Amino acid sequence: MDVFLQILVAGFLKGGLYALIGIGMTLIMGVMGIINLAHGQLMMVAMYVTFVLHSFFGVDPYLSLFVAMPALFLLGVVIQKYLLNPLIKAETILPENQVLMTVGIGMVLTEVIRFIFKSDYKSVTTSYTGATFFLGSISFSWALVVAFGIAVAFTVAMFFFLIKTDLGRSIRATAQDKDAAILMGVNTRRITVITFGLGTALVACAGTLLVPVYYVFPDLGGPFTAKAFIITILGGLGSTVGAIFGGVTLGLAESLGATYLGMEYEDIVGLTIFVLVLLFLPGGFKRLTKV
Amino acid sequence: MRIVRKGLIGIFVLVMASFLCGAASAAEPIKVGVVLPLTGSMAKFGEIERRSFEMALEEINAKGGVKGRKIELVFEDDTGKPDVGRSAVEKLISRDKVPVVTGGYSSAVVAAAAPVAHQLKVPFVICTGAADDVTEKGYEYVFRINPTASEYPEATKSFLKGVAKVKTAVILYENTQFGQSSSKAFEEDCKELGIQVLMKEGYSAGAIDFKPLLTNVKAKNPDLIYMVSYVLDASLLIRQAKELDINPKLFVGGAAGFTLPEFQMSAGPAAEYVFSATLWTPNLRDKDYPGAKKYFDNFRARYKSDTEYHGAEAYASMYVVADALKRTKSFTPKDVRDALAATNMKTAFGPVKFISYGKKTQQNKLPTYLVQWQDGKLETVWPKDVATKKALYPTPKWSARK
Repeated sequence: MDVFLQILVAGFLKGGLYALIGIGMTLIMGVMGIINLAHGQLMMVAMYVTFVLHSFFGVDPYLSLFVAMPALFLLGVVIQKYLLNPLIKAETILPENQVLMTVGIGMVLTEVIRFIFKSDYKSVTTSYTGATFFLGSISFSWALVVAFGIAVAFTVAMFFFLIKTDLGRSIRATAQDKDAAILMGVNTRRITVITFGLGTALVACAGTLLVPVYYVFPDLGGPFTAKAFIITILGGLGSTVGAIFGGVTLGLAESLGATYLGMEYEDIVGLTIFVLVLLFLPGGFKRLTKV
Repeated sequence: MRIVRKGLIGIFVLVMASFLCGAASAAEPIKVGVVLPLTGSMAKFGEIERRSFEMALEEINAKGGVKGRKIELVFEDDTGKPDVGRSAVEKLISRDKVPVVTGGYSSAVVAAAAPVAHQLKVPFVICTGAADDVTEKGYEYVFRINPTASEYPEATKSFLKGVAKVKTAVILYENTQFGQSSSKAFEEDCKELGIQVLMKEGYSAGAIDFKPLLTNVKAKNPDLIYMVSYVLDASLLIRQAKELDINPKLFVGGAAGFTLPEFQMSAGPAAEYVFSATLWTPNLRDKDYPGAKKYFDNFRARYKSDTEYHGAEAYASMYVVADALKRTKSFTPKDVRDALAATNMKTAFGPVKFISYGKKTQQNKLPTYLVQWQDGKLETVWPKDVATKKALYPTPKWSARK
């Protein structure tokens, strides 16, 4: 029983971070109708920002959220405005130009970071790295619990932002029907720029929260892009609530699979669920929740 | 960054110099190919080895090189991937026309590159890649200086026999050729020592959360946890074992990640008391390991960072290759191969002699050692005659530590 509870806790905590990674991607997906394949790489850049702030200026990783998120928001805005939006105009054979562009951006980001920092593994060790508290015999890692709390806070804030504010409504309108949104006077071009920035800032947040418990190196982006993609599909493209469910499901499934099937199968479990959802529940959890 | 730039400028100057004067003089340098992971996830090890190769090269060239000619190293990056390593060796042999290739860090890369050397009949002196089967295929042109993965736990075994008499063990390993080879060997050692293996499980490198694995380990409550991991998986494993409050009598690492300074930096105080197998330490007797201490001190003085067994392997490898080039009749790959086969010398990494035993051919045989992290330093604790500190055993519970 202890084993089961411990795994549930571990999976849930990891799922919170996954949700945050997924929400960023699903937002971009909803508004622009493309999968952002540089998502994990952008997260990696945020992790390096946090690493630099910590090792050169001694800034606590949680405080560096206030730098990493705005910085990545700006990077996202620049990418959308100057690299992705111009592609809409260009007539080409391939309709998914912007997706290909994101692949390229991902590679450039990885190599630029490699050029600056080399391939070394970097890690940030803080006083709370490895700090734990126990409830009964179940161990909770402080860093992950805090990360989970912040992830939930951002998710809830995001939710209210989308439902209650003017800008949030414009984003949802653009996601639902771009042409109608334009007719209603929404500047959709500006909306896409802001959305990409927001999505990037959210994944930057996830990256920063991950730094104290994980490590950083340039090739880290790829696997996380894949994870974000799985979460987005699980949750249903473009659905915020779906991404939360998707993230937690993936976290739990990986942990349970790793425990009861073997750690070697951790990734296989996630991918199997991915395929099953595509087969039997195309559209993801969004179909069940309708949000 | 600065070092890279300096290195690049250095290489550039060297290349220019060799163009300008090399062409004119008869004594062109002899090219030796080196394949190492200079980028990618294993780049840290590649860097230590490259620096060690360069140190040895300078020493050899300062003493006049071989047969009045200088040696020049041609580095190729294998990025830690087998396919890239394979083509890197092909390129060294066919384009750069080197008479001998050395280096070879990861087991997977070495396993892919060795058949190339064998087919193209150019000797390949492996300095690190340890998966057993590489020297079990009878490749005539493949030599290996380091012991095979299955021999890494030798010192651990005798330590378990002599000091830490445990009853149960759990084996965790990275699911790669090296991990499988090492863990299988240790499992057999356990059987021999009468230690019951409660669990043996692989994992794929780069996981964020090892808790599922470690929770199972905790439920089994073993006396010994043996781990075969690269550097950051190693530190995550130890950190999370601490988080879950797992208290075996000893944690033992199967070399690779556990001896690097980065492991201690990233794991912090959790690294204390962790044992690891190793192939080399700087305080070995000069009789069999001439220059070991000197190499260690020079490296530290020059690069302001520590070196460990991987570097020593590379350093010794350069000397072995130079020695063969001195003895060879001509610089054709065939003659160099024959010279290598007759190698019998002592290096900073230990005596080197390529012998056949069991299924293996042209394999060097060396003893291994056991080290332990004590007060942030890597101390040799076994065998007793080379120990710098007494082994701290059993490991105190996490809650009893400061």
